[in-house]
Amino acid sequence: MNSIGAAALAATTLWACNPLQIDEVIDPNNPAVEVVLEDASREAVQFLITGLEARHRAYVFNVTTSWGTFGREIWYLNGSDPRFQTDWLGQGGRQPDRAYFGFGATGGGSWAAPYQAINQAEVLAGAATNASILNDRERASARGFARTIQGFQFMIPANFVFENGIRIDVADPFNPGPFVSYEEALDHAKSLLDQGFTDLEAAGAGPFPFRLTRGFDGFNTIAGLQQINRAIAARLNAYRKDWNGVLTALEGSFINMNGDMQVGPTHPYGAAPDLFNPLFFVLDAAINTLTVVHPSVLRDTTAGDLRVRQKFFPRTNPVIITTDAAPLTGTHQDQRWPTNETSVPFIRNEELILLKAEAHANLGQAGPAIEAINVIRAAAGIGEYTGASSTEALIDEILYQRRYSLWAEPWGHRWIDTRRYDRMEEIDTSFDGGSVFRQFPHPQAELNWDLYVEGQ
Amino acid sequence: MHKFYRFTLSLVLLLLATGWSMAQYTVTGTVTDDRSGEPLIGANILLRGTSIGAVTDLDGRFSVTVPGNDSGTLIVSSLGYVSRNFNVNASTGTLNVRLSQDATNLEEVVVTGLASSVKRSNLANAVSSVSSKELTGTTTLQTTDGALYGKIAGATIRSNSGAPGGGFSIQLRGISTLGGGSQPLIILDGVYINNSFQRTGRAAVSGAGGANQDDGANRLADLNPNDIESIEVLKGPSAAAIYGTRANAGVIIITTKRGAEGRTTVSLSQDIGFSQPLRLLGVDDWSEEKINVFFPEGRRPIELERFREAQRTGNFIDYEDFFYNNTALLSNTRINVSGGNERTKFFVSGNIVSEDGNVRNTGFERYSIRANIDQKISDKIRLSVSSNYVRSNTDRGFTGNQNNSGASIGYNIAYVPNYFDLRRRPDGTYPDNPYFAENPVAVTDHGINNSVVNRFIQSFSLDIDILQTKNSFLKAQVAGGLDFLQNTTLVYLPEFLQFQRGQANPGDVLWGKQESFNTNLQAALIYNWNLGNVNMNSTGGIVRLDFQQDVLFNRGRGLAPGQRNLQQANIQEINQQFFSEVADAGVFLQQEANWDDKIIGTLGIRWDKSSLNGDPNQFYAFPRASLAVNIANFEWFNVPVIAALKPRIAYGETAGPVGFGATFTPLGGTNIGGLLGSVVSTSIGNTAILPESATELEFGVDAGFFNNRIGIEATYYIKNTQNNIQNLSLAPSTGVNSTPSNEAELQNKGLELGLFGTVVDKPNLRWNTRVLYWHNRLNMTRLGIPTYLSGGFGAALGTFLYAEGFSPTTIVGTPADPSVPGGFTIWGDAQPRFNMSWVNNFTIARNLELSFLMEYRHRGDNINLTSFLTDSGGTTPGLFNPETNTLNPRPPAPFNNAGRWVQDATFLKVREIGLFYTVPMEIVRNTFGSSVSGVRLGTSVNNAFLFTNYEGYDPETSTFGAQAIGNNVDITPYPTPRRVFFHINIDF
Repeated sequence: MNSIGAAALAATTLWACNPLQIDEVIDPNNPAVEVVLEDASREAVQFLITGLEARHRAYVFNVTTSWGTFGREIWYLNGSDPRFQTDWLGQGGRQPDRAYFGFGATGGGSWAAPYQAINQAEVLAGAATNASILNDRERASARGFARTIQGFQFMIPANFVFENGIRIDVADPFNPGPFVSYEEALDHAKSLLDQGFTDLEAAGAGPFPFRLTRGFDGFNTIAGLQQINRAIAARLNAYRKDWNGVLTALEGSFINMNGDMQVGPTHPYGAAPDLFNPLFFVLDAAINTLTVVHPSVLRDTTAGDLRVRQKFFPRTNPVIITTDAAPLTGTHQDQRWPTNETSVPFIRNEELILLKAEAHANLGQAGPAIEAINVIRAAAGIGEYTGASSTEALIDEILYQRRYSLWAEPWGHRWIDTRRYDRMEEIDTSFDGGSVFRQFPHPQAELNWDLYVEGQ
Repeated sequence: MHKFYRFTLSLVLLLLATGWSMAQYTVTGTVTDDRSGEPLIGANILLRGTSIGAVTDLDGRFSVTVPGNDSGTLIVSSLGYVSRNFNVNASTGTLNVRLSQDATNLEEVVVTGLASSVKRSNLANAVSSVSSKELTGTTTLQTTDGALYGKIAGATIRSNSGAPGGGFSIQLRGISTLGGGSQPLIILDGVYINNSFQRTGRAAVSGAGGANQDDGANRLADLNPNDIESIEVLKGPSAAAIYGTRANAGVIIITTKRGAEGRTTVSLSQDIGFSQPLRLLGVDDWSEEKINVFFPEGRRPIELERFREAQRTGNFIDYEDFFYNNTALLSNTRINVSGGNERTKFFVSGNIVSEDGNVRNTGFERYSIRANIDQKISDKIRLSVSSNYVRSNTDRGFTGNQNNSGASIGYNIAYVPNYFDLRRRPDGTYPDNPYFAENPVAVTDHGINNSVVNRFIQSFSLDIDILQTKNSFLKAQVAGGLDFLQNTTLVYLPEFLQFQRGQANPGDVLWGKQESFNTNLQAALIYNWNLGNVNMNSTGGIVRLDFQQDVLFNRGRGLAPGQRNLQQANIQEINQQFFSEVADAGVFLQQEANWDDKIIGTLGIRWDKSSLNGDPNQFYAFPRASLAVNIANFEWFNVPVIAALKPRIAYGETAGPVGFGATFTPLGGTNIGGLLGSVVSTSIGNTAILPESATELEFGVDAGFFNNRIGIEATYYIKNTQNNIQNLSLAPSTGVNSTPSNEAELQNKGLELGLFGTVVDKPNLRWNTRVLYWHNRLNMTRLGIPTYLSGGFGAALGTFLYAEGFSPTTIVGTPADPSVPGGFTIWGDAQPRFNMSWVNNFTIARNLELSFLMEYRHRGDNINLTSFLTDSGGTTPGLFNPETNTLNPRPPAPFNNAGRWVQDATFLKVREIGLFYTVPMEIVRNTFGSSVSGVRLGTSVNNAFLFTNYEGYDPETSTFGAQAIGNNVDITPYPTPRRVFFHINIDF
């Protein structure tokens, strides 16, 4: 072979494939967000709705375990990381900082996750509005669903940082609005819920035009979603101390004084590719990471309370975790979840009845308040209420019943309830030598963004 | 245009010369080693200023025909020897040359460009070279990176754990990137090979977290270190600029052995050895007093009962000893066949490595075959191919971090007192561990953490001499290759384990299949010509790189007894599927000029583009320039003591690639309640993202004294990086957390010193020594985003400070200190203050060779969370003070801050000791006859001794594997082994 020929051959081969040509790489793993931003297909909108259901449940584990620990409903015993004990219980005088353990610099499940659901809902609302393939009723129904979930999710960061306030203008990632007070934040959540309700109204009647998971079984109609919307509004109005508002909202909700206490929409869980119920722990297993019932909850029970029997499982061998301050002994497990695929309700009839009692009590309407309390007591098998009918006595009773009816629901009711009524000192820290947190500071990442903008 | 003119002129001259002048004379002679008198085969003889030359034959003979009748200078050189110049003329006739061994390596040829190389004595950069002998001549190392320890000034090499089968991080001249590992590019015989730490899935199954806590091996482990002829390390942009986009963290160029003309030699080597843990810490004893202090009241009765039972039966178990202190067998078998004739040369090697680990059921096996062939297709065309197939099989066991699962020996036994017996019962069952969620004995006996790699690396190089004249040549080179790597990983915890029984679906298996396919192609033209006394070497060419990755992990939970097939699982899950595809393209030009080995200058530039960048069609330019002056080569320089004196300066620019996917804003897939959903990503792609860029100025001086018996090298560098990629944290209230940004800038400054030479050079004793010193100072010159903390496990356990004016290796933690940016107390710095290494080789009476290598690292702090765990579990040696009946608090006061876990990682390690005996030829002949041409016996130790005050198995450890920052966190790692070998090598 002649050398010039060889060189020529090599050169030709080389240039034939043009080694300098580079094609733009399209993400081989995921669709780009652009497919929903402009003129989304019906399937794309459907995918966003299901995606919203997924984002909607992202708070469950973090909020249940941490807020539940703050309110001493449970201990989340963790044999592998003592900070779940030392830091979450405020042992040794620990106080939440901007990057607290379990929440990180973004606030994790108590801040970033609910805001991701809010953002997902915002993208859904926008995509539905711009989707030319949808009719007006379909658009309104998608928006109504989105706003309803937003109303629910806004309450999570608001209650996490409480008086420190939250951002409510969060649509533009590069230009978030200022922090507003707790009250203003709740008003914003109310306006979203009301907007959602109106949107659902505009969507007409009949079935919800998109597919929802079994978490919404019994509610996957326009009317059903409106009931959920009003139920959430009732909880919100209680936080807003708008007691008449609670009663009005309850009227539009799925409250049923004679109905099953468990009725309500849920977060579904399942086997892969779904997620298992994160609150499920095998009963009596020889493991050292699990949630256990707080000893003060066990101590304060009423004899014969069915809720105690149904929810609390006595272990054969207690789980003991040693910590800085005191050893924590877990004698009872959570037995609400028969399997790791059991759905987790996010608002139930039982809570609505308790909200009704609370609203009436605060309005000085002892009769209907006691009537509602007795529905709860009857279900728990502990007989009628025999205490005083002063507002204070009724609130005592209602808060006590809420401890057992709503124990370790994915919300941290006890922590919020004691704060609402200025009774945080009632939270019993004697078993763990810890302290009670009132609220959290803004996550570091929020502060960092403001610093970044200032520095630009 | 100018070049074209030169080219044409050369052509004309060539034609004139061939047609006209026939006057010439011939010089013949021999080249021999001046110590042994043995002929040197393959020595080069070159007429200075021309391309005329010859190579010595098997008897060391050469013959050079010099055209014309003028006198000239013949340069005689041979690898590993000091070259010499001889004036010749028509009357010279015979020339017998004796060359002396080159203690200072000034003569070796260093590859510096994509298609060019230069003699070390003419080099303008501090390029480190490691020869085959330096790499593997003292002891047997499992992996190539492990064999580089202490041999390169400016390299921080860190073993992530002592698990068999590798797992090393190399950082050259500090840190050039904040993301990724800041690991150098590795080029093996021209192939851009995959050196990633591939996911094994262990951290997913053990609950530790992300793939960076898998304690996986980096895939350089697949390469047989004994195949390597030399390694060159381009430590920074000034040397590596011509490699462009991927060279920010430096480039390691590996060249494998090739055949030589002559008799076919067969070399058979067998190493056999054993290993034991280099260092164990011991565990604290228990007493009734300690139990009463350590355990809560409710727990004491059962603990006391267990303790008394153990006392009664004398059954105390040192778990550290039980799990780690097992003697492991090591074997390494190699066969090399090489030879060739004038047209064809070959090197074929086979290698079987079989090493057990000190933890039962762990080990590393590697089967490698290689064929390196060089073929002269014609006088003008040469083809070289290198083929390597490897199968690596690694079992690394369960150590390190875990979460809840208990699937880590060290983490688990930190909590187990020595009076409780976890060992297997005679009936084959295991007691439940009341101190943790799992019985680690059962995990060690029945758990699997395995990786099987099948790999094929192929390279080729086609060299074509297009034109050759008396004093110039033009050649083309087309080179490239491929690296195909397939890795099957398995992590398995059977259903009967304690923790698994506590799960809804007991039994966990995670199967991974990963394929990566890299290809690269390079075409270059090299024109070498002379401009008066100046030798000019011009190169230009193009480069194309393609990287593809295909990853699939499947997980099964709820397993049928004893079954690992996914279809035997109740819950079958696609754990991860990921594809990536990257293409880079570049163009380069380089001009080197060498005036009579006196002044050597280089100018070069590379333009690169990459599909990873925001704009895939934007070319980025990476220029370089360097100058070296060999003062001792000037006629006026007349200091007999100084044989070489070379000040040098070099400047270059490089880049670090953008991570795959940085430009994407995806909609993630999610499944809930039987439906598929799309979720808006929490990170926003940056479609304007730029590659990270670095500039480096390096200057120094190399000098040789006493006929180059002693040499020094001193280099100072300033490396500045810009556009460093870090995630800009967005306000999480907007539902998105981050977007990649190009804001940060880093500066690395450092000093590298080398002193080497022959201390004693007597007929019966030769002592070569080399001392290296280096340090690096890193500083975040610009952060661009608010100060943040990252890495480790949060402020309470020690984390890292990313703030302007601080090194990101700064360790901070509780308590709060408002005077420090980031708000926490500064407790330490991961960066060593300095490193030193010392290599010695003694040749005694020609036949006996003793070598050792030690390395000292001064300061550099670790975050030792092993101490944190053993303190929590009451097992830290010396924890209980029987005199005061209290637990000794860990300083500093008030005994509750992160400073407790930040420990000085200063160490002195004797890394390699080797003693080899070459059996004299007479004895070999008398014993084996003429069929055996050489026998060598030896013994060696790897990681012979460790001296440190650090409270861990090894001050070098990283639970997070190779990463730029946070690679010094110690969580119950696999203890480092001390490996002892016996060697026999027979040449036929």
